[in-house]
Amino acid sequence: MSEIVQSEPFVMNIGPQHPSTHGVFRVKATVDGEQVVDAEMVIGYLHRSMEKLAEERTYTQNIPFTDRTDYLSSMSNNLGYCLAVEKLAGIDVPPRGQAIRVIMAELQRLASHCMGAGAFANDTGAWQTPIMWFMREREKILDIFELTSGARLTCNYMRIGGVAFEIPEDFEEQVRALIGPMRETIADGEGLLSGNEIFLVRARNVAVIPPELAINASLSGPMLRGSGIAWDIRKADPYCGYEQYDFEIPIGYQGDAYDRFIVRLEEMRQSLRIIEQALDGLPGGPHSTEVPLSLRPPAGEAYARIESPRGELGYYLVSDEGPSPYRFHIRPPSLINLSVLKEMTVGGSIADAIVALGSIDIVVGEIDR
Amino acid sequence: MTRWWSGEELAAEAERLVPGSVSKISATACIFKAENLVQVLSALRDNPATNFAHLSNLCGVDQWDRFEVVYHLQSLEMNQIACAKVEVQDREEPSVPSVVSIWQGAWIQESETYDLFGIRFEGHPNLQRILLWDGYPGYPLRKDFLSMPGGLQPGLNEFAGTSAKPEPPVRPVE
Repeated sequence: MSEIVQSEPFVMNIGPQHPSTHGVFRVKATVDGEQVVDAEMVIGYLHRSMEKLAEERTYTQNIPFTDRTDYLSSMSNNLGYCLAVEKLAGIDVPPRGQAIRVIMAELQRLASHCMGAGAFANDTGAWQTPIMWFMREREKILDIFELTSGARLTCNYMRIGGVAFEIPEDFEEQVRALIGPMRETIADGEGLLSGNEIFLVRARNVAVIPPELAINASLSGPMLRGSGIAWDIRKADPYCGYEQYDFEIPIGYQGDAYDRFIVRLEEMRQSLRIIEQALDGLPGGPHSTEVPLSLRPPAGEAYARIESPRGELGYYLVSDEGPSPYRFHIRPPSLINLSVLKEMTVGGSIADAIVALGSIDIVVGEIDR
Repeated sequence: MTRWWSGEELAAEAERLVPGSVSKISATACIFKAENLVQVLSALRDNPATNFAHLSNLCGVDQWDRFEVVYHLQSLEMNQIACAKVEVQDREEPSVPSVVSIWQGAWIQESETYDLFGIRFEGHPNLQRILLWDGYPGYPLRKDFLSMPGGLQPGLNEFAGTSAKPEPPVRPVE
């Protein structure tokens, strides 16, 4: 066979119904042989126009909507929205409410990263074993959420001025019981994957994002930290008393898919540290302040952001002194992290594009809203 | 802690860099003129005192008589954030300059704002509807989209003509 096989570019659709797209999301990839020469994302399959719906409902009625944007981290989304309303209306949260919020947000980060890291291992070809280990631990966290709020995924637990209910009696015991096994599972997952030759070949130097691009493209969360930029809103702009807790910001140094995976694993360890500290120093007192049922914040605007598992989750609210927000905007970290998909995939193979997409850890409910 | 710039501080810094660029000042934000928006925002990014290298958020607001495009500019190195705005009065063909040449992260947020508000961003490399399909009637986040006769609001109440009740209360949630 001395003849050179000629190939020409053609368009291939990855998704919208494909396990590697993690939801209803399509990549229109132009491929030349095995090489991706262009990648265009097609989104909007899950668009529910939450920003418009929220303009017709009261501030409290909007909390369940935020569950349904990033359905893998509903607690974080509740928290971001409640912080924005509290900033707008000037409401303070009692210390116990803040500590419960921190515990819930960190448990949610663990649950979300279990899913993110496990699904990423699946995408690289470590078929089912790591994700099952992580899902086993995530299940315990969802049980705690069910115990506390009555729901596993769409928790609807945070309220403006605090949280909805007091934590149950055996909450602390159950949370402490999951910390040890969770540490072991993180170590097991890291031991299985981080030195694994196949995993290294699949993830090292794949989908590299240089730090300049990461900043210029407004990336946040593990995508930004994987590129070596130590930026974490919990440290930079502490909310809910995060300044009291001792934790570190893990960063990568090459900006590839592997670094983002390792950053997620290390963040899980740091979350466990925060949970332990918050449980040790859990203050007494009320879990929330009294807030009028039909809250009418003074006219103005507020932008509050938190470090959600996926990055900088911002809520921009405009009030006209009415009972519902005049404008309700979500800054979705998944969507903005996804906007560098072309830079991450072009030049690599189709298999690398799947790894690149997996390393972003997208949630399509948040992309489309 | 992050330093949140007030509108006056941002306006003073912007006037120093690009004189005559500020149109109005509010407590939280500085409103720039559209004609030199790109010039002033890129000067704010490159100026060492501001260093707004990270565009945190970009969104539109419909204020009935005008559209606002809101930019939250952030500096990771200096840990500070500021809010800039630009206003456009024209409701038929609203258009503001695109800032994709300054921050690449703006392109997807500008596309979303175009999709939901119908604000054109001049200079955007690939401005098209991303969440809704081509040919979708209207722009849903505008306040006059789906406005009902008789002060009815879509969502909380039934649509006009489908209810036998003469005048349902507009906001029963009070």
